[in-house]
Amino acid sequence: MRISRRALFFLAVALVFVLMVPPTPPEFRWLNLVMAGLALFWAALLAIEDLSNRRRDLGLPRYGGPSDLPSAD
Amino acid sequence: MSLTVVLIIAVALAFDFFNGFHDAANSIATVVSTRVLSPRQAVAWAAFFNFAAFLIFGTAVAATIAKDVVDPAIFDNRVIFAGLVGAIAWDVITWYVGLPTSSSHALVGGMAGAAVAKAGWGSLIATGLQKIVVFIVLSPLIGLLLGFTIMVSVYWLFHRNQRVDRLNRGFRRMQLVSAAAFSLGHGANDAQKTMGVILALLIANKQVPVDSGVPLWVVLGAHTAIGLGTLFGGWRIVHTMGSKITKLTPVGGMSAELAAASTLFFTAHAGIPVSTTHTITGAIVGVGTTQRLSAVRWGVAGRVVWAWVLTIPGSFIVSYFAFLPFKGMG
Repeated sequence: MRISRRALFFLAVALVFVLMVPPTPPEFRWLNLVMAGLALFWAALLAIEDLSNRRRDLGLPRYGGPSDLPSAD
Repeated sequence: MSLTVVLIIAVALAFDFFNGFHDAANSIATVVSTRVLSPRQAVAWAAFFNFAAFLIFGTAVAATIAKDVVDPAIFDNRVIFAGLVGAIAWDVITWYVGLPTSSSHALVGGMAGAAVAKAGWGSLIATGLQKIVVFIVLSPLIGLLLGFTIMVSVYWLFHRNQRVDRLNRGFRRMQLVSAAAFSLGHGANDAQKTMGVILALLIANKQVPVDSGVPLWVVLGAHTAIGLGTLFGGWRIVHTMGSKITKLTPVGGMSAELAAASTLFFTAHAGIPVSTTHTITGAIVGVGTTQRLSAVRWGVAGRVVWAWVLTIPGSFIVSYFAFLPFKGMG
């Protein structure tokens, strides 16, 4: 399984926002947390897209397709 | 008001003019590189909204510069003059080499350097400087995230629309709005730094009380100077910002400007002096990242980062030495 550099990039951005919480003045710390959350959201979405594309490249249906459902027999 | 004070106010306004000349190019970089406006039209557009910013925003950033960076008791004509000299010298050097550095941080570094030369490290206010330094890191990252988010949202909203020409026309028109918004944010943020310097000068010379707000003539003067600076703006930096960092389409330009404008509106409201250059660079990188990481020319972005890192120490050192000849006086 390979996650693209873009997903890792946004993960790193989220990490920077979290690391910057202690030196940030208390009245603005909420901003760090909101932005870290947004960066994590994009990192997760990009990672899911990467995994989904990989399944497609291997000839498998995308997540949520029929093969992900339990077999009837 | 003494002649010295008048002369220093003139130097402060000259700094503001240079700020427009140096930084305001960022306001029009995307709109020019996407060919929505000609350079001449874009400059006039940005200059107008730089000036109009005083009608919308308060003066919280000016108060931060005047009262939260250096102990106001330390300010005198020599400190403010040496601080301005350092900031202007740094701006001229970086403009000459075509690096989009921050005039705002040059001013903060300049004032801090002159104050330390006069009264030592104890003259600096740690909490005010901490706020500014933290947002040196945060403002481009906020711009980056918002730029990416706006760009992806626009793609999601319009990806099924088949009328590409019509969409592009719409985005080009929208870019006029986003460029205007960014210029408002720039005017609000950067003109206020000069207002802060002039306010500190007026307080030091007992022309206004310590708890005074910014006089209207100072507000109008600062916005006029930055607007005129934009009108005579520097094209070297337009080129770096608009085309060297990543290739922009009208929708990309619009997204980057909206992202940067939102960040600047927030910081102007919160009284945090940030760099408009940092913010728009982050937003442009964020937009470029929607394509792929390699769409961003990281080498150019890296040079910009180095210029950011060097700005406060560089202007600090220049101002420190600019103050030394005055040290025996007063």
